[in-house]
Amino acid sequence: MSKALEVFGLKKSYKKGFIPKTREVLKGLDFSLGKASITGFLGANGAGKTTTIKCILGLTFSNAGQIRFFDGQPLSSAIKSKVGFLPERPYFYEYLTGYEFLRFYGELSGGMSRNALNDRISELLKKVDLLPARDVKLRNYSKGMLQKVGLAQALIHRPELVILDEPKAGLDPDGRYYMSEIIKDLAAQGTTVFFSSHLLHDAEKLCENLVIIKSGLVIFEGPTRKLLQRVNSEIEVVFQKEGKLQSQKVASDKELQTQLKELLSQGLMIQEVRRQQPSLEEAFVNLALRDEAGGA
Amino acid sequence: MRQVWVIGKNTYREIIRDRILYGLLVFALLLMGVSLALGELSFAEQTRISANFGLSGIQLSAVILSIFLGSTLVSREIEKKTIMTLLVRPLSRVEFILGKAVGLSLVTLTLVFGLALVLISVVGFLGMEINWILFGVLLGIFFEALVLLGVTVFFSSFATPMMTVIFSASVFLIGHWLDSLRFFADRSESLEFLVVSRMVNSIIPNLENYNWREAVIYSDPIPLSQVFWAGVNALSWFGLLILLTAFIFGRRDFA
Repeated sequence: MSKALEVFGLKKSYKKGFIPKTREVLKGLDFSLGKASITGFLGANGAGKTTTIKCILGLTFSNAGQIRFFDGQPLSSAIKSKVGFLPERPYFYEYLTGYEFLRFYGELSGGMSRNALNDRISELLKKVDLLPARDVKLRNYSKGMLQKVGLAQALIHRPELVILDEPKAGLDPDGRYYMSEIIKDLAAQGTTVFFSSHLLHDAEKLCENLVIIKSGLVIFEGPTRKLLQRVNSEIEVVFQKEGKLQSQKVASDKELQTQLKELLSQGLMIQEVRRQQPSLEEAFVNLALRDEAGGA
Repeated sequence: MRQVWVIGKNTYREIIRDRILYGLLVFALLLMGVSLALGELSFAEQTRISANFGLSGIQLSAVILSIFLGSTLVSREIEKKTIMTLLVRPLSRVEFILGKAVGLSLVTLTLVFGLALVLISVVGFLGMEINWILFGVLLGIFFEALVLLGVTVFFSSFATPMMTVIFSASVFLIGHWLDSLRFFADRSESLEFLVVSRMVNSIIPNLENYNWREAVIYSDPIPLSQVFWAGVNALSWFGLLILLTAFIFGRRDFA
């Protein structure tokens, strides 16, 4: 499978304090993104998500490791014109209108004629539901509107890889829904989407793949369903006894067979067998705890 | 170059739409008004002295604009994190710095020549002959502002905005005293003083090289070659300082 992004052995440390102390933020990260996929980048606060993204985009220089785009190419101007980025809690030029703002980023990205850029701006403003606010200065935009126009600037040049840092932060449920739809739409059109989030519920619904980091190391990389399967699902058997509904939980399919046999042998009526799927949140906590136990 | 122009255009728009600029414009007009009134108090050649004071007002406004707006030109982008969405575009760090500096230079040019129009109208109304000398002086003011802008952008690449203003204002003051410093050093018997003077003279731009305001009072012609070489000198300082800034900026982490 061809790759949109490959990260090998990425390390980054910062020096802080009057007598500089080195703090290792990334301790050798390895992961890759397949083309046209949606990958969630998860981790607790301070795990190193934003630092990783900044290293990928050349905003911060790594101490070691390699970053390759689109099947082995290093970051360059040509690669930058294929990448879109929305930072966390974006703050944009408040003296510009939505239209001027997108025009500025469009001109900076290059590759579009004046008319084509105008059409693209209108298309994007419509997509993020900001067409009525086209000529309103950004200082009058709400937090959610800024997030939307920020997404539009990340997409203005039709990038092949879109990196979004906490794209749903500060959005209302409506805004989150729109954002999810846009992300799905992008992937459907062949764009690779890589987004960091702490909203596990949204990541579960959107991402085919996950990269989970903890303390500067990747602790999981792979399909979301694979992570969910790792966590034992519980099975609940509901039956009728003495006219009342009762239930019993079993841990595995084998145990379920035994339990069913026993209940039937007692002449009880089985009402329902429920398989409870773990949520990504449970799987995430489970993974983090297991990693801690393993590391201890 | 296209990228430099896009950044420059946006910087120009940013400053033109900033309320601070209008505050400065009002200040500059008041300063010019006072200067012109002061000129009227002189015994002879009132109009020429008014023009000289008016030009001082323009010079001070251009210097304030370069130092105060230059000090936050890049730091504001970093503080508000807008720089992150810019540097991920096909835009190098050198182009970014150059674009910002070009934008502010264009604002300075607009301010200098906008105020000059007001001054020319007033002194023309007072009966002064408008000639090449006045334009030469105005160009000198722009060259000085350009050099100070380079100095400010350079300091802002590693210092806080407050420290940048202090450093740049010091360069402005020392830059106008360099001739006096050299004069005294040449007559001093102290070798150390001479060495320090030579060092300061070589690392700080001599801003008196662009100051021809007295030519207005005495109606002394300013040779075209002097204006040309002063322009080359100012552009060289500006280029060198922007290169140094780009060098520092190119190694910076945006954490």
